Amino acid sequence: MFSIEPSRRNANGAGGEAGSDMSEVVLQQTAPPSTVADRTRVLSRLARTDHLFRHATRAAAVAVLVILGGVILSLIFGSLPAMQAFGFGFLISQSWNPVTENFGAAPAIYGTILTSVIAMLIAIPVGLGIAVFLTELCPHALRRPIGTAIELLAGIPSIIYGIWGLFVLAPFLQSHVQPALIAAFGDIPLFSTIFAGPPYGIGILTAGFILAIMVLPFVASISRDVFETVPPVLKEAASGIGCTTWEVMRYVVMPYTRVGVIGGVMLGLGRALGETMAVTFVIGNAHKISGSLLAPGTTISATIANEFTEAVGDLYTSALIELGLILFVITFIVLAVARYMLMRIEQKSA
Amino acid sequence: MNAAAQTPKELPTKISVRSLDFYYGADRSLKNITMPLHTNKVTAFIGPSGCGKSTLLRVLNRMYDLYPGQRAEGEVLLDGENILDPVIDLNALRARVGMIFQKPTPFPMSIYENIAFGIRLYEKLSRADLDARVEAALRGAALWDEVKDKLQTSGLGLSGGQQQRLCIARSVAVQPEVILFDEPCSALDPISTAKVEELIDELTNRYTIAIVTHNMQQAVRVSDYTAFMYLGELVEFGGTDDVFNKPKEKRTLDYITGRFG
Repeated sequence: MFSIEPSRRNANGAGGEAGSDMSEVVLQQTAPPSTVADRTRVLSRLARTDHLFRHATRAAAVAVLVILGGVILSLIFGSLPAMQAFGFGFLISQSWNPVTENFGAAPAIYGTILTSVIAMLIAIPVGLGIAVFLTELCPHALRRPIGTAIELLAGIPSIIYGIWGLFVLAPFLQSHVQPALIAAFGDIPLFSTIFAGPPYGIGILTAGFILAIMVLPFVASISRDVFETVPPVLKEAASGIGCTTWEVMRYVVMPYTRVGVIGGVMLGLGRALGETMAVTFVIGNAHKISGSLLAPGTTISATIANEFTEAVGDLYTSALIELGLILFVITFIVLAVARYMLMRIEQKSA
Repeated sequence: MNAAAQTPKELPTKISVRSLDFYYGADRSLKNITMPLHTNKVTAFIGPSGCGKSTLLRVLNRMYDLYPGQRAEGEVLLDGENILDPVIDLNALRARVGMIFQKPTPFPMSIYENIAFGIRLYEKLSRADLDARVEAALRGAALWDEVKDKLQTSGLGLSGGQQQRLCIARSVAVQPEVILFDEPCSALDPISTAKVEELIDELTNRYTIAIVTHNMQQAVRVSDYTAFMYLGELVEFGGTDDVFNKPKEKRTLDYITGRFG
């Protein structure tokens, strides 16, 4: 492939010299067969390198599919022993007993979904608020700094959120917020269960808080980006019939960007579902389903991270791998939906 | 002042612009504009691109307020009240002074909702009353017959001309006193343009209208008064016939005869 370059340069060089000498030019014109032959040879070499290049790029692209397929297959094969041992009961069983080798995924699935839901309940309104402020209300001088700060928030390693959650947020919630919640809702049926004590500090709610902070940048920055796709004249038109900023956002910008915002939310949800380190720090790692948000729990990724090193026996390992497979399926669906929705808003704005 | 002589003294003035300066940041884009908008008349703003006619229009409902760094100085009196006063309620002002834009701007909702939305901002009506108001607005914009069978479909599905008339209906539905048109036909084909012009003609009976246009013929066709602006200054204001037939300023003559701009 590299041999072509010098030969082409030679050909060019010869042409250049010929140009300076009229007789050479005439000679070239009167002797086309050799030139044509040269050119054909060079072109065929070029075609060969082009061929190579095409295959090289295709191989790179195919590698992604192979890796994805490989991950899925190894997850499935790895979890086969657990599937055979527990069947579909794995999804609903609450037991997690390494000694008797009886495993169930229900507490981990429950914790994964519940912490993510809490995170989204907090992050969506706050994130949309940030996006609205940044696109509509923020003084120009502050737009860049706040926007950058939000993007930096997304760049903080999750282990740092974990440390902060464990040493700062959890003690704070334990001493200030959770006792207040327990006292406030203690006498109300249903809520007394949801906020049943004691205040551990760590638990489902704390994990939800941490996740909310982690997904906030996704929701905020994607919402801001899609809000900016709204034509200014549309907002002016809404203002022009007397809408307040709130009414412009609620009735014009939101409907216009709904699909994109949902896509951003789903991306955030995908991150929340799979987040491991920060959650492992603050969730308490208890394999049980409790009605209380203040109680410790676990998530799929936290369980895997905590127990893989000490998993002895094939069935134990296989159960953890099956947990991984379940998480893979959940996040795959969420991300696929998110991509689809973002794709739709891109088509709309184009 | 020939135009002034032909303008009867008792002709009521809806909006009176007095010594208006406008700044985009440090750029002064309107220079000491003084002119009236007469009640229930159409006033056309003409002039080459960048002369400030759209800017002037955007001052009249303070649309510029949406953007930081833009400010107006002077006075704009709407029924004697200075709308540049910071204490003015902008939403109420914009309900009184509606605006139609260059490109149609239907909201991302059904045809019915596009109209009903604006009405609901100000009034709580029964379903039947609301239906009646929507129909009246669509009839007022000469759109009813074309859309009455598909009121629940998206406003975005209409043709450009229909969308523009939908926007006019939306504006009319809020019952404004003044309607500002910012080159309303520049994105429309000739037939749609004719319909919108016809509509403007009908609207004059009830509304005070200002229209920015690049189309001289359009200005002649639809307006009673014409303001010719150049480089942020009001060069000439007068009855449309006077401005086009016997302009007092050479620059006006040059512009309307196509010698520049």
